[in-house]
Order: sequence, then structure tokens, then C-alpha cells
Amino acid sequence: MATIIAPPIGAQAQAPRRLHISEYLRWSVDHKVIGVQYAVTSLFFFIVGGILAMLIRAELLTPQLDLVQNGQQYNTLFTMHGTVMIFLFIIPMWGAFGNYFVPLMLGAKDMAFPWLNALAFWMIPPAGILLLLGWLIGAPEAGWTSYPPLSSLFSGDGQTMWIMSLHLLGISSILGAINFIVTIKNMRPIGMGYFQMPLFVWAVLAQAITIVMATPFLAGALTLLLLDRIAGTAFFNPAGGGDVLLWQNIFWFYSHPAVYIMILPGFGVLSEVLSVHSRKPIFGYRAIALSSLAIALVGFTVWAHHMFVSLTPELRIPFMITSMIIAVPTGIKVFSWLGTLWGGKLHFTPAMLFALGFLSMFVIGGISGVMLAAVPFDVQVHDTYFVVSHLHFVLFGGSVFAVYAGIYHWFPKVTGRMLNDRLGQVHFVLTYLGFFFTFFPQHLLGMLGMPRRVSVYAPEFQGLNVVVSVAAFLLGISVLVLFYNILRSLREGRAAGPNPWRALTMEWTTTSPPPPHNFHGDPVPFDDPYGYGTEASAAYIDAIERRFGPSAPLSTERRNMPAAQGGD
Amino acid sequence: MNVSERKTNGRNSNALLWIVLAGLAIIGGGFLISLLTPYLFPAQGSTQAQQVDNLFRFMLVIGGAIFLLVQGVLAFSVIRFRAKPGDVSDGAAIHGNTTLEFVWTAIPAVIVLVITIYAYQVWQTTRAVQPNEQVVGTVGARFAWSFSTNVTPDQFPAGVELSQLDPAVQADIEEDGYITITSPQLHTYVGQPVQLQMVTQDVLHSFWVPAMRVKQDLLPGRTTDIRFTPVEAGMYRIVCAELCGSGHGNMAGTLVTTDDNPVYQGAWLNVHADEAAFRREFLEPETLAVLFPPEDPAARGRQLLASGAYPCNTCHVLSDLGWTGNLGPSLDGVGTRTQRLSQTGQPDMEAYIRNSIRRPTDFLVPGFGPLMPQFNPEPDQPNYMPEDHLNAIVAYLLTQTE
Ligand code: HEC
Ligand SMILES: [Cu+2]
Ligand SMILES: [Cu+2]
Repeated sequence: MATIIAPPIGAQAQAPRRLHISEYLRWSVDHKVIGVQYAVTSLFFFIVGGILAMLIRAELLTPQLDLVQNGQQYNTLFTMHGTVMIFLFIIPMWGAFGNYFVPLMLGAKDMAFPWLNALAFWMIPPAGILLLLGWLIGAPEAGWTSYPPLSSLFSGDGQTMWIMSLHLLGISSILGAINFIVTIKNMRPIGMGYFQMPLFVWAVLAQAITIVMATPFLAGALTLLLLDRIAGTAFFNPAGGGDVLLWQNIFWFYSHPAVYIMILPGFGVLSEVLSVHSRKPIFGYRAIALSSLAIALVGFTVWAHHMFVSLTPELRIPFMITSMIIAVPTGIKVFSWLGTLWGGKLHFTPAMLFALGFLSMFVIGGISGVMLAAVPFDVQVHDTYFVVSHLHFVLFGGSVFAVYAGIYHWFPKVTGRMLNDRLGQVHFVLTYLGFFFTFFPQHLLGMLGMPRRVSVYAPEFQGLNVVVSVAAFLLGISVLVLFYNILRSLREGRAAGPNPWRALTMEWTTTSPPPPHNFHGDPVPFDDPYGYGTEASAAYIDAIERRFGPSAPLSTERRNMPAAQGGD
Repeated sequence: MNVSERKTNGRNSNALLWIVLAGLAIIGGGFLISLLTPYLFPAQGSTQAQQVDNLFRFMLVIGGAIFLLVQGVLAFSVIRFRAKPGDVSDGAAIHGNTTLEFVWTAIPAVIVLVITIYAYQVWQTTRAVQPNEQVVGTVGARFAWSFSTNVTPDQFPAGVELSQLDPAVQADIEEDGYITITSPQLHTYVGQPVQLQMVTQDVLHSFWVPAMRVKQDLLPGRTTDIRFTPVEAGMYRIVCAELCGSGHGNMAGTLVTTDDNPVYQGAWLNVHADEAAFRREFLEPETLAVLFPPEDPAARGRQLLASGAYPCNTCHVLSDLGWTGNLGPSLDGVGTRTQRLSQTGQPDMEAYIRNSIRRPTDFLVPGFGPLMPQFNPEPDQPNYMPEDHLNAIVAYLLTQTE
């Protein structure tokens, strides 16, 4: 049973340190600065990708072309939207959370390779610029999947920039992942075995392993495509002895695992948030931790379900089987999270609202995912709005909801200030409704016959498309509420205290924001990161408060209610 | 001791009752949700559609039940386990329950196993080779579909003598053993199994008829196939589902399924002398048009373009043929469009139009990009257009003066 023995340092820990913008604009090897750099960069690209999404939905208000002049411009819109959101928003955003919190959760002073960490980050801004500059020299129009021969023989020179940009982002991602693996393996504090790690750290570990195994395949495919475009090779051109399916196989060998790269850390965030804000131990710790690994590994065997209308028909069956299997570990997670809520004391903080929203939306993505794995049904809805809907239920209803939950949960630690609860609730309601009505009707559109990636469509689909577009605009507005909340709280948010949620993981055993070397002295982990409901955990939290001053805001109430002290 | 034991037992059986009731409600809910199936799909046009929809309905029962289970537990927890204002105590220190965890691993595993087996069966039956299939060659090219059928001499209309035919057509028949008739529409018959053999001229396309529930990519360098058996007469939309460039959304076609004469059901390949109506309807006029091309090159050109053998219609407007494509310049009046001739480096309109088709990028009409495919003179090149076709098409386009 662990307690903090070091003497209190005094009230200095209470006053949030002012953040200097200039610190974040230059090379720094502090993982916390790098984390914020990742976050701000990703949020910038979130806005870029979001604006593109708004343009797409505006175009689709009517069945004809009106906003864009031709199909090619439209193709560029969704190509950029997909590429930006995946490679410049979600993946780097998990880089932000991982960078900032993995060392803190391990009680470490920094990542294992701080310099490499900075290098990985600084590849992202140039990659983003490279991608967007493509617009000036003949924009890419082959979608984020960039199937040849459209991407090799037809798409504009911007396609070459797209390749270079993804190459850079891939290298950045691999370097970051190696760093996480080494950090998690070597820098755990004494007394923290793998099965005492917070589940967010487990999730980042599973993600990092996936990145290291998968991303080199993307690099390979991109290199071949680049050669086809600029050196006259014919890897993907049957006229020169190549094969168009080669690209699809290698690309999806990376890009299906990439789905888990985008969602696994979200699973981690969810485990943290649900447990802390329900004041209850996570249900089935080992099952959750190990199912992350299972998902990461089985995730390597399912890639060809993205090729159910191009792959040789007999070969589709084995991939149907593996794609069905992967639903099982995912189900285990969802049920374990529900088990965590059961019998808890749920506090509906904005972080918790988004975590609950994740559960309720992600399950729809899971169900449609199993349906898509069934080959005969997939054949009907492949390359239609059903798939657009499914992927957004997983990546928006899943990953983005988790990003939001993570922001509300950890913003106090990063800035020393609380986000506004009321605005957080408004943000949640707008997001939840906007999201559902944007994406749910798309299932129907796809089944009824609307293919994806079209700027013109049959007139009978207009009604549903108007619903979708209006809801999408609402979703766009919801993002503004979040940004307003963040900017406002940076200036005038309530001081957070070290541990506003009275959580047990180690990032909360230091001031908010943490000092340059993270901890005052050597922190001692509590032996169960989710050991709520015990005398020991209450004592541990009290010790943090004694040392760094009161937690806010819950423990202020707590102080006034001595009866509740010590758990129950 | 006894009293408390009885009390626990009572509570347990109560809990069991609740679980059973909730389970029944959830499964019943899944059934109710699955009743929506017919409204979620277009009308069933093929036997394949019936099977796919049944599979979907089955998955919707299960998916609907899981949906209700998860949302139900969530809603219940939100209401039942919310912390009272000011309550800062912790929940019970429960870390897991091995039995429960086993159950919620095993049940989903069994469910996906059952779905997999069912889906496998459907997949095998929907793809099964049928006797006496109508085989149709399908070509996708940016951004139009064309469908061709091979007609052997014994299927020619009565009274056609090989010796009457144009020497070029005769040579064709001698070489291949058949002639090919082409149409921008796909004609099928109720109850007649169809097999499409599909190739693409350029990039990936995907042949999809939502009403038939079939879809298959067209892959450069390969011939892919697809099978379905229409069950309902009607006109159905053919959609391109794979991104193929600027005109992807416009790449639609029409599938016509007729059943007006049950005698001819299943008779596509075995046309007998007495099935005159069938031949009158479709086969004969199309065959004759190929066997006896009009002497006048302009008339022949018009016939070629109208047959859909070339994908010009999605990109160009041409009022004479009812084209409404919007990716390229209108071809109305192209025959007298001389104002730009001096910039093109071509001596006259005939040479210019010819070059516009053989080498479209030599001169780009202002305001348009290099989108038009290049139509090549050699059979082994993509977008093959033989010289005599080109001559006829150019002759026809020159007659388009307004
Ligand atoms: C993928 C779309 C597309 C297809 C298919 C297509 N074209 Fe075009 N066509 C264009 C575009 C775009 C231009 C203008 C740019 C250029 O000059 O190449 C054009 C230009 C032309 C011109 C010159 C018109 C002028 O005003 O000078 C002619 C003639 C023409 N096409 C004929 C045809 C014929 C005949 C076919 C079918 C065999 C065809 N096109 C198929 C897109 C297409
Ligand atoms: Cu197409
Ligand atoms: Cu297409």
C-alpha cells in the first residue's frame, strides 16, 4: 500500500504557470511542450479538414453541381478532407495525448528519446504544407486511398506532393512509435509492472506496435506509386506487366491497421475517463489490456475486406472470417466499459458525457462493421454512403469523441485551468445530435443506391442529403463551441488544482501544469491505477492534496462533507 | 439464518426474472427493427437481392438486439447510478467477474460464427453458375458503360446470306465466328440468368445495380465477371461505384428487364425460328445494323455513336442523339466551329475533329482540361477505334452545323 511520504512543498503549486506562446514555436525536447505542439497542430488541421467537410456537404445540398464547377474539384475536396483528417488530425492528435501523458503516467521525467521526439513532431508541419500546396499545381483527385491507375496515370502533380507528404508523416509516425515502445518498456517506475500500467498506456503501446509493424508497408506502396508517376515504372500498370491490385493489397495492409492506430488510444482514453468519472475500478482490467493487443494483431489479417468487390471471389471468404473474429475483442471492451459504469457513482462532467457518447455511437459502428464483414451484404454497400457512415461512426463517433473526452479530462492538467462545464455540455449536446443526424441517415443512402465520392446524385436522394447536410453544419458549429471554451478557459478558467477529478494515475500526483521535470521529487505510484472505493485510495488522494494543496473542484465539496471521507 | 437465506434466494430469482424479461424484450425489439428491411433497400430485382436481403434481415435482428442492449444498459446506468449532488463517495470496488466476462466473449463469438456460416452459404448460391446464361460483354470507360453481345451466323435473321454482306463484315465473321452488337443499355429478361464479362478501357470502375444487389470492380488487365438473375421487369439504374475521375457521379447506365413474352424466357442463346417477336424486338434490328452498315458514312457515324460503342455521351451535349454530358464542350454545331481553327494548327474542320479524337491533348478547347480519352487505331490499345469508325464519326460530326 503506497502513500506519499515527501513533505508538502507549499502553495506555490496552486498558481497555474502562465504559458508562453513563444515556448511552443521553437524546437523543444520537453515532451510536454511537444505534446502541446502536436495538439495545436492537429487542431489546426482539424479546422482545415472540417472546413472541407462543410464545403462537401454544401455541394451535396442539391443533386447537381453548384458550389464546385466540376467533378474534379469535388474529388479534390474529399481527397484532402480524408487525408487531412486521418494523417494530420487524428494520428498526430494521439501523438499529442501520448507525448504529454505517457511519461507523466509512468512517473518519468521525459520520453526515452527526447530529441527524436522533437524530430518526429517537426516533420508534421512541412508535410501538411506540402499536401495543401498540391492545390496550386494540380490537385490530387484520387481519394485518400489513391487507387492506381487513377492516381498514377491521371491525377494532377499534387498527387506527387500527396505521396511526399504521406511519406514524411509515415516516418514521423514510426519514430514516435519507437519512442513510445522504448519509453513504456524501460521507464516504468519501480513497482509498476505491465499489468499495473494505466490502460491508456497499454493502448498507446498496442498502437505503437501496430504503427511500427504497419507503416513501413505504406512507405513501400508510396514509393512504388511515386516511381510509377515520375520514373516511368509500371508496378501498378498492367500494360507494363504491373498489377492494380498490388496497390490495394499493400495499401490496406497498412490502412486497415491504421484504423486501429486511430482508435486504440481512444479506447485507452475511454478506460481512464469512465473509471475516474464513475468512481469505480475498471471492469476486467486484463481483458481490456489484452484485447487491445488482440485487436492490434488480428487487425493485420483482415485488410482485404476493403477489397470485397475487387479481390478474387473465393479469396473473400477467409477475410470475412478474420473480420468477424475481430468483432469479439472489440465487444469485450464495450461490455467491460458498461460493467465499469454498473454500480458506479457517475459524475456527468463533459469528459464523461463524451465517453458515454462514444459508447453509444461506437456500438453502431461496431454493428455496421460486422454487417460489412458479411461478403454478400458488403457487395451491395461497398463504396457507398453506408461505408462513409460506418467509418465516421468509428472515427468520429469513436476517435473524435474520445479526443473530446480526453481534452476535457486532461485540459486542467496541461493548463492548470478548468474548462467551462456549461459550455462543455452545450458542446456535447450539439455534437451528439449533429453527429447522429449527419451520419446515421447515410446508412440508408448507401443501401438505397447512392455511391460515395460523387458530386451529382439521383434526385430521389436529395431529401436525406439535405438532412445530412443541415446536421453536418450543426456539427461544424459544435466545434466552434469547443474552441471558444478552450480559448476562454486559457484566459479566465477556474484554477484546476493538482487533481480535480481525484484520480489515481500518476499524472495527477504533480502540480497542474507540471514543472519542467514533471514531478517534485520521486513520485510513488498507487498500486492499482483504478483502485477506487478503497480506504487506501482515499488516503492516497488525500496525501496528494496534503502535498500540493486541495484538488478542485470536487474535493472542495469533499472537505465540507467529512462524512463522505474515506470511501464507504 | 434461514430467513436471510430465503431472502437472498428471493432476490436472486427476482433478478433472474428481470434478466429473462429484459432479454426477451431486447430480442423482440431486434425483430421489430428487422421489419424495416424492405424499406431500407430498393425493390428486389433479382434472386440475389432476395437472398442478400434475408441475410441482412437476420443480421438486423441481432444488430438491433445488441443496439438495444447497449443503449439500454447505458440509459439505465445513467439514470440509476448517477451521483447525487454533493456525493463524492466511490462506487463499489468491483474489479471484474470471470463468469460474466466468459459469457460476453462466448456469445458474440457464437453469433459471428453463425453469421459467417450463413453469409458463406448466401455467397456460394448468389455466385453459382446457372445453366444457359446470357453472356454480355461489358466495357467501362471514363465515363460510360457499353454492353455487347456476340451473335453467331446461325442466329442471324432469316434470309441473310453471308455472300450479300460487305467484304469487311464478312472478313470479321470469318475471323471471329460472330459479330458483336453493342448498346448503351443492358437488356435482360425475367428469369434469364445473366453473366457479365467486364473489362475497363482506362481506370477502375465498379458495376453496380442497386436493385440487383450485385457489384464488381472492373480491373485494368483483367476480365472480371458478375452474375444475377432478374425476377422483376423494369428499368434499373446502373451505377459506377468506384472513383474513376471527374465524371464518376455521371457514370450511370440503364438496365432494362422485360418479361412481356414468357415464351422467350431463358431463350437468349437458343433462338428458334418461331420466336419471331423476340428477334423483332431487339436482336434483328441491332444485328442488321451491324451486318448492313449504311452506305452513307454520316449515317453510319450516327449509328455508331447512338449504339453506345463509345463513351462520348457522358461528356458531350449532342441534341441530335439526346446526349446531355457536361464534362466537355457541346458538340452541337461542332461541324462549323471554325473560329478557333487557326489556333489549332489544323488545315480544316475535318482534320481538326479527327485530331480531336485521335490526339485530344494536341489542342485543348479553352476552358476545358485534358479529360477526353484518346481513341486509338490499334486493337491492342485502350479505347480502340478502328479507322473506318473514325471516318464515319467524323463525317457525321461535320454534319452537325447547329
Ligand atoms: C471523359 C470525357 C470525354 C469523353 C468520353 C469524350 N470527350 Fe470529347 N472532349 C472532352 C473534353 C473535356 C473536350 C475539350 C478538351 C479537348 O479539346 O480535349 C473534348 C473535346 C472534343 C471535341 C472538340 C470540340 C470542340 O469544340 O472543338 C470533339 C470533336 C470531341 N471531343 C469528340 C468526342 C467524341 C466523338 C467522343 C467519343 C468517341 C468524345 N469526344 C468522348 C471530353 C470527352
Ligand atoms: Cu467508373
Ligand atoms: Cu466511377
